[in-house]
Amino acid sequence: MPEITYLEAIRQAMWQEMKRDDRVFLIGEDIGRYGGAFGVSHGMLDEFGPERIIETPISEPSIVGAAVGAAVVDMRPIVEIMFMDFTLMTFDQIANQAGKMHYMFGGKATVPMVIRMPGGSGTGAAAQHSQSLETLLMHMPGLKVAVPSTPYDAKGLLLSAIRDPNPVCFVEHKLLYKTKGEVPEEQYTIPFGVADIKRQGKDLTIVSSGIMVHKSLAVVNRLAEEGIDVEVVDVRTLKPLDNDTIINSVAKTGKLLVVHEAVETAGWAGEIMAIVSGSRAFDYLDAPMRRLTGKNVPIPYNRQLERAAVPQEEDIEREVRAILKGEY
Amino acid sequence: MPTEFIMPKVDMDQEKATIISWNKAEGDEVKQDETVLVVETDKVAIDVTAPATGKLVDIRFKEGDVVPVATVIAYVLGKGETMADIPGRTAATAAPKPAETPKAEAAKAPSAASPVAIRAAQELGVNINDVPASSGRISREDVEQYAESLKAAPQQPLSEAGKVAATPAARRLAREAGIALETLAGSGPHGRVQAQDVMAPAPAAARPAAPVAAVSTGERQAKVVPLTSMRQKIADRLQASFRDIPHIFLTVEADVTRLEDARKRLNEIAARQGNSKVSLTAMLVKVIAWGLERNPYLNASLVGQNIHLWEDINMGVATALDEGLIVPVVHNANKLPLRQISESITDLSKRAREGKLALSEIKGGTFTITNLGMFDIPQFNAVINPPECAILAAGSVVRKPVVVDEFDSIEVRPIISLTLSADHRIVDGVVAARFLNDLVEGIESPETML
Repeated sequence: MPEITYLEAIRQAMWQEMKRDDRVFLIGEDIGRYGGAFGVSHGMLDEFGPERIIETPISEPSIVGAAVGAAVVDMRPIVEIMFMDFTLMTFDQIANQAGKMHYMFGGKATVPMVIRMPGGSGTGAAAQHSQSLETLLMHMPGLKVAVPSTPYDAKGLLLSAIRDPNPVCFVEHKLLYKTKGEVPEEQYTIPFGVADIKRQGKDLTIVSSGIMVHKSLAVVNRLAEEGIDVEVVDVRTLKPLDNDTIINSVAKTGKLLVVHEAVETAGWAGEIMAIVSGSRAFDYLDAPMRRLTGKNVPIPYNRQLERAAVPQEEDIEREVRAILKGEY
Repeated sequence: MPTEFIMPKVDMDQEKATIISWNKAEGDEVKQDETVLVVETDKVAIDVTAPATGKLVDIRFKEGDVVPVATVIAYVLGKGETMADIPGRTAATAAPKPAETPKAEAAKAPSAASPVAIRAAQELGVNINDVPASSGRISREDVEQYAESLKAAPQQPLSEAGKVAATPAARRLAREAGIALETLAGSGPHGRVQAQDVMAPAPAAARPAAPVAAVSTGERQAKVVPLTSMRQKIADRLQASFRDIPHIFLTVEADVTRLEDARKRLNEIAARQGNSKVSLTAMLVKVIAWGLERNPYLNASLVGQNIHLWEDINMGVATALDEGLIVPVVHNANKLPLRQISESITDLSKRAREGKLALSEIKGGTFTITNLGMFDIPQFNAVINPPECAILAAGSVVRKPVVVDEFDSIEVRPIISLTLSADHRIVDGVVAARFLNDLVEGIESPETML
C-alpha cells in the first residue's frame, strides 16, 4: 500500500471525487496558483481549471454563503477556510443557514457541502490562527464534525463527508499535514460515528482525536514497556460520536482520560464524561474520570508558552500515571 | 472564663487523634501540666496535660473517639466558675489558643521566609507558617518539600457522615456480592473503596508489603510495613468478630482409623479408574456437612433480632496465602459427592493462591473449616468468620495410645483433635457438644452417614 502524507491523502480524496463527480468543486482563499495556505490543493488548478478551483476575495462569510447556495442547488462544494479561527466570521452561514436548511425546509432541501478547516496550535501562529474550535461546531444542531488523525482516516472520512447530503465540518490539524501513513490508491469511505480503537488495552481508556491521538499513542507505547496497558480510542468524528465504543471501552478498563487540544471549559471532554456517566459504564468506573485539555487561555505566540498551553506527551504520561496510582 | 481543653496538634501533618484513655473523670480536679488523657495519632501515643488547674468538666469525647485537632474536648473550671460560664455549650469547636497548646506546638514559632518562598507557598496553597525551615529562614526548597510531604501524607477519609466513599465499580461489585461497603477497607485515595477492595485481590497487588522505612518511635526502632488492603480487611473482620461475638470453644478427639481406611480404599479405586485422590480435608468437609444437616443451629447467622438457619450448607475452607488468608467456599457441600468436594477444594485453593477466585467463590459461606494439621499443630482455637456462627479448627492427626474397648485395652490409633468455636448468642454448649458428637460419630463410623 502506498505511503503518503495526511495532506496528500486529503488532496487525493478531493482529486478522485472531482474526477468521479462533476458537481464537486473547491472554493477558498489562495487555493489556486498558490496551492492553498498549507499546499493541500497544490496542482489542482492545472488539473481542474478555475471553474472548479475557485479563488475568492478575503471574505469568509461570502465564501461559505456562496457554497451554501451552490449546495442547495445540488452542487458539491468543498470550502477551504484558511485557518479554523476564521470560521467564527462565518458562523451565521454555517450554523444558521447550512446547518438548519434541511430541517427548516421539511427535508426538501439538502446542503451537501464540506467545510475544511486547519486547526490547532504548534506553528507559532498565535492566538487568532491556532485555535481548536471543534466544540463550537459540534454544539450546533445540523452539523457533522470530523477530526481525522491519520492519512488513512483523512481520505476515507473526507470522501464520506463529500458524499454526505448535509454539511460536514472537516477539521484538519496543521501539525498532521506532513505525517505519513499507508493509504489505498482506490476510493473508500469511513462511515461517520465509528470510532477507531488505535490501541487495545485494559488498564485505562484514553479518548482522543487528531494530533492528541498520536501524542497519546507515543506515551502509551512507552508505558507498555512497564506493563501499563492503556487503550486509545480515536473518536474520528465528534459528531456523530460513537458512544458505544467509548462506553464499552470504559466498562472494560474502569478508568477514563479524555485528551483534547481544545480548551477545557465546556470542551468536548465534558461531553464524553457525561455520556459515560449516564451509561452502563458508570457502574464500572473505578476512578474519577479525568480530562487533559488545552488551558483556558488564548494560544500564546511565544513558542515555550504555546507548548505549555496544550497537552504534551509528558503531561499525558503524568496524568496516566496519576490516575493509575490512584492520586485522584 | 473556663479554660478550653483542646485536642493538641503534635505532628506537622496530623489532623486528628484517637482518645486512648482518660485518666481523669468528669468533675475531677486537675493540675496544670498533669497528664489527663492519652491520645494516639497515626504514629505515636501522647500524654496530654491539663491546660490549667481546676475542675475538669464537660468532657465531650469518650475513649476510642477520633477527634480533629484543635477541637475542644473538655473545659477546666477555675475558682468560682461554673458550667454556666462555658461559652455556647453546644458549639463543638473553638479556635485553639496558642498559649495553651502543648509544648511541641508552642515550640514552633514562625521562621522568617524569603519572598520567593512566600510566593511559592501561595502558588502551592501552603501555609508558610507550617513550613519547617532547613536553615535560619524558609527557602523555596523548604516550601516545595513541605508541599510534597503534604501530598504523601495520609489524607482524611472522604466519607460524609454515614456515607462510604466508593467508586461506582466497587459499589456494583459489593451490591452483587451482598457485601456491605461499610465492612470494607478502602485502599484508594481518601480511603475510597475501589473494585480491588471488593474482589479477591489480584496477586500482584497483594504481595506482602516490604518494609518501607525504618522509623524511630521514641527510643525504639521499627521497620514499618503498611497494611495491605487484604491485611486491613482481615484485621477489621476478625477484630469485629472477636470483639462482638462471644466465642465458646469446645474440643473433641476422634479416631480417624476408619475414615482413613475408607479414604485409602476410595483412592485405590480412584487410582484404578484414573480419578483424582480424595484428601482428608474433603472427608472432613463431608462429615461436617452431614453434621450440619443434623444440627441446623451451627449453620446459621444472627441477623438483627432473628436467627437465620440457612437452607444451604456452604463450606468455607480457610486457605493460607503469602499475604494473608482467604476463605473460598464449597457451595452445597452436603449435596456433593466426595470426589467432587475434593476436586473443588484443590481447584479453589490453587486459584486462591493465584488470586484468580471469582467473587461468587468467596461469598455465601455458612460454616468454615480451618486446618493446621499439615503444620503439626495438634490443637488450636479459631476466630469465627462472620456472618457465620461457628468455625471448626482441625489439628494434625497424631498417633497416640487410646482405650479402645470396655476392657481398657490400649491401642495406638491415629487421633485428630477438633476444636469448635461457636457464637454463644446462637449456640449453647450443649448444642455445640451434640454437633461435635455427631462429627466424632461420622468420623469414627463413616457408614452412619450412608
